[in-house]
Amino acid sequence: MPDHHEADATRVQLRIPASTAYVSLVRTAAAAIAARLDFSIDRIDDLRLAVDEACALVMADAPGDGEIVCDFLSSSAHLAVEIAGVSRSGSTPSSASFAWTVLSALVDTVSATVTDENSLVIHLAMNSIDAASANEFA
Amino acid sequence: MTEPTMSVPVGGVRDRAYERELLVHLAKLRASDDPEDQRQAAKLRADLIPLHLPLVEHLVRRFLDRGEPHDDLLQVGTIGLINAIDRFDPDRGVEFSTYATPTIIGEIKRHFRDKGWAVRVPRRLQEIRAALTKATETLSHDLGRAPTVAELARKLDVSEDDVLEGLESASAYATVSLDAGFDDSESASITDTLGFDDEALTLVEDRATLRPLLEALPERERRIVMLRFFHNLTQSQIADEIGVSQMHVSRLLTRALVKLRKGMTDAHAD
Repeated sequence: MPDHHEADATRVQLRIPASTAYVSLVRTAAAAIAARLDFSIDRIDDLRLAVDEACALVMADAPGDGEIVCDFLSSSAHLAVEIAGVSRSGSTPSSASFAWTVLSALVDTVSATVTDENSLVIHLAMNSIDAASANEFA
Repeated sequence: MTEPTMSVPVGGVRDRAYERELLVHLAKLRASDDPEDQRQAAKLRADLIPLHLPLVEHLVRRFLDRGEPHDDLLQVGTIGLINAIDRFDPDRGVEFSTYATPTIIGEIKRHFRDKGWAVRVPRRLQEIRAALTKATETLSHDLGRAPTVAELARKLDVSEDDVLEGLESASAYATVSLDAGFDDSESASITDTLGFDDEALTLVEDRATLRPLLEALPERERRIVMLRFFHNLTQSQIADEIGVSQMHVSRLLTRALVKLRKGMTDAHAD
């Protein structure tokens, strides 16, 4: 088995129609990439849920015929995911919303930006080791 | 009128004749109009359930290699047992265990069937799932944390792709029956949960929409949502806390989130 920790930042990009029917592709890709980084199955599940939630947030604000672009950037034990789509409102989701609470609990860091091209981008980042549970078991 | 009081001796009985007498007595009490008899019937029924749990345990063992956690099967099997106690007619002259066995097995099989597995998941995946559930429990115990896909693959001597596929099938085939055998009313945690709900929710601005949606969730799903998102326990920790497998927590959490998200979307659309 190759040593995944040796790999430098690797980018995988997935472009899907802005429809929930395609979100399972993003979940599956996220899980496969996280598995390569030796995430525990807990963390992989969390990532699946987070990707789901982020896609739902972006799609809620995207035109129906739009596209969602998902970028996965992985390096050693770190994974960054960007979910982007055209934003009709031009605003970022409220950080006090339930969806945001969910995202914050699932991944290590989460943020949202609206680009000059009026695209809403949700950034998620996760390490293979969950700091909270690492302490718990220490 | 009221028969002499009969009850299950402390420590249970292993005497078939006496077990039979208890069931006959239960049938008589039930047939009576006397409220005192009805009260005794309820008590005797409650005593008869633990008395026959070894039968459920015995039957559950036949299904242990199919990927469902032991506790979950015990729960649904017990439902079958209770139904059997309620429907048993001592006058028909069959042994209770003979009567109860198909009822209990039927309930367990329904649990599997409701998940849609028999028809939808290829046999190979079902087997991997079964092995995964077991290996996850063992490895979590040994490592003190949830295992990685690579660790599971090594343990089971299968490819990492197979493990991923197996894990995916776990969430993909979750259906309505996940609560089978879970009696909301018996959970002592309902009130505690509601207590900390409100406090935890104060920071969420859409709590007015969220609260009724949370309240509409089955108790166990709501509890998992609260523990995961507002108390930041990991899925494995929640699994320990409520006594089911991590995969079961994962399925319930996924399902609860889908419901909440749909509810929030519908509310905003109004």
